[in-house]
Amino acid sequence: MLPSDNKQGSLLDRLTESVVRRIAGRTSRRDVLTKLGGAVAAVPTFMLLPVSRAGAATAKPKAMTPFGAKAQAKDELACDYWRYCAIDGNLCSACGGGVHTCPPGTAPSPTSWIGSCYNPQDGASYMIAYRDCCGQDSCNEVTCLNTDGDQPTYRPMANNDIIWCFGTGTSEMYNCSTAAVVGKAS
Amino acid sequence: MSLMTLPHLCNPKGRRTAFLCSLLTGVALLAATATARADEPILQTEQSDVTTLAPWSPHTILVVDAVYQHNKDGRAYVIDADKGRLMGMVQAAYNANVTLTPDASHFYVGETTWERGNRGERNDLLAEYDARTLKITADEKLPSRALVTPKRNDLAISADASRVYVYQMSPGSGVEVVDTATHKVTQTVDVPGCALIYPWGNSGFSSLCADGTLANVSLGADGKPSMTHSAPFFEPDHDGIFEQSPSVTKDGKAWFISYTGKVYPTTLGVNATVEKPWSLQEGAGMKAAPDSAKPFEVTWRPGGWQMSALHKSRHELYVLMHKGTFWTHKDAGSEVWVYDTETHKRVRRMVLPVASPMVGVTQDDNPLMFATDEETGDFFMLDAKSGKLLHKMKALGGALIFTVAPGEG
Repeated sequence: MLPSDNKQGSLLDRLTESVVRRIAGRTSRRDVLTKLGGAVAAVPTFMLLPVSRAGAATAKPKAMTPFGAKAQAKDELACDYWRYCAIDGNLCSACGGGVHTCPPGTAPSPTSWIGSCYNPQDGASYMIAYRDCCGQDSCNEVTCLNTDGDQPTYRPMANNDIIWCFGTGTSEMYNCSTAAVVGKAS
Repeated sequence: MSLMTLPHLCNPKGRRTAFLCSLLTGVALLAATATARADEPILQTEQSDVTTLAPWSPHTILVVDAVYQHNKDGRAYVIDADKGRLMGMVQAAYNANVTLTPDASHFYVGETTWERGNRGERNDLLAEYDARTLKITADEKLPSRALVTPKRNDLAISADASRVYVYQMSPGSGVEVVDTATHKVTQTVDVPGCALIYPWGNSGFSSLCADGTLANVSLGADGKPSMTHSAPFFEPDHDGIFEQSPSVTKDGKAWFISYTGKVYPTTLGVNATVEKPWSLQEGAGMKAAPDSAKPFEVTWRPGGWQMSALHKSRHELYVLMHKGTFWTHKDAGSEVWVYDTETHKRVRRMVLPVASPMVGVTQDDNPLMFATDEETGDFFMLDAKSGKLLHKMKALGGALIFTVAPGEG
């Protein structure tokens, strides 16, 4: 959700510039929205992303956050899996779904908030859309509370407390969270 | 013959001996039962009834359980914290919020249900309870309410209890104003770019905004809202303000605490004034913690869920503290540091039985402090002056996220 008030909007733009920079590197907000839109439309750019080019990198950038410095890229059922750097709740990968897949009987939210996580495998940071799966009560198999870049609800686009189940067609009942790669942040 | 002597007599040598032994044991048991009965009063027939709670003491509190494991089954417990006893409970469904009237005669639960459990028509509700009978005295349907892990400042009440404010996000931000005499939503005030409710006086509230300002909403005599904004005083992406920062409705005093540990003393109102911040770490003789620009530095930091509480008359600010880097603002606190809000100095440091995501405090002269173990759901009642554990309720709930005590507003 973005503030609708014009005055607020302009101030918001100015003041969020730095956080958007942090989130998206050199990617503008319009690009973020474009990429999000692409991801929502299931454009398979995901498959084209460089997910295992560790060897190709000459100078690996360092992780920008303490979570990133300790993250791993092998076990997507563990809370320290790299793309879960700001996930709060139940891992869909442990609930019958996957890192970007909802379990059967639930529906993915078309809305989400966006984090930026460091992938130790290729040394790059990616924009992650934390989309909730909705319509069944809490799944609860593996529950994580990671807070890289998490801000209060007055910055809803960067908050992991909100039930991101707007417009799912189901009830807004939260089942689990996914972490879909929607773009490269660095 | 006592039952204790029977094992000596009952030496199993044959079937006849065994039979005699059984007989003797039976007779002895019958005799023992008859003796016991003679000591008991004769029971009368009974009528089923229901009890009413005594008037609330400063140590009668509400504990909100969000039950993360099955969120739609949230509840609020009434606890006698002097005894560590559960006195009653009410439903507080699906990320519910709770607020208590200043005289502790009633409390409100903002909750959400669906007609058929996890489906069907959504009902956002504001239930008003009599605090002694726990009977519903009003049960109104709301236009909406924010579905977010519950925070105290998503539901609030005016100083004179004439209005209840409900934060909504549908997904635009707004505050519903409920008239507690008619139990009707009189209006929804848009608070674009802002969130939460920090009520002041009888007819105003402030919200924290994405641009680092406060939005101050005043409801005029005609009920019409007007809004002012403070100057920006913090940068959310570098050093956000905790939503659970404490405030006092009656005089509009607030202490906004930032992720790094800056405390901004504030007087809420149409012309809200934010004073120069002081530092939790400096007040404890340490150097101030750096913001998100230096995220790796490990130091003592504020954190948790309900990470702060205020004792108004003692001028004490209670803050959950843990050792960690930046971006650990939701880590449970292993200690509670208490500050004098006048001198900005730490006056006490108390180690908790286990790290707690929430802290609460009563408002009397012999205050109790509350904490929880998020793994077990245990609820701790401690002496707020010494940190000594007084009572522990084992496995009280699934996710005890905050307490509400009389006189906090």
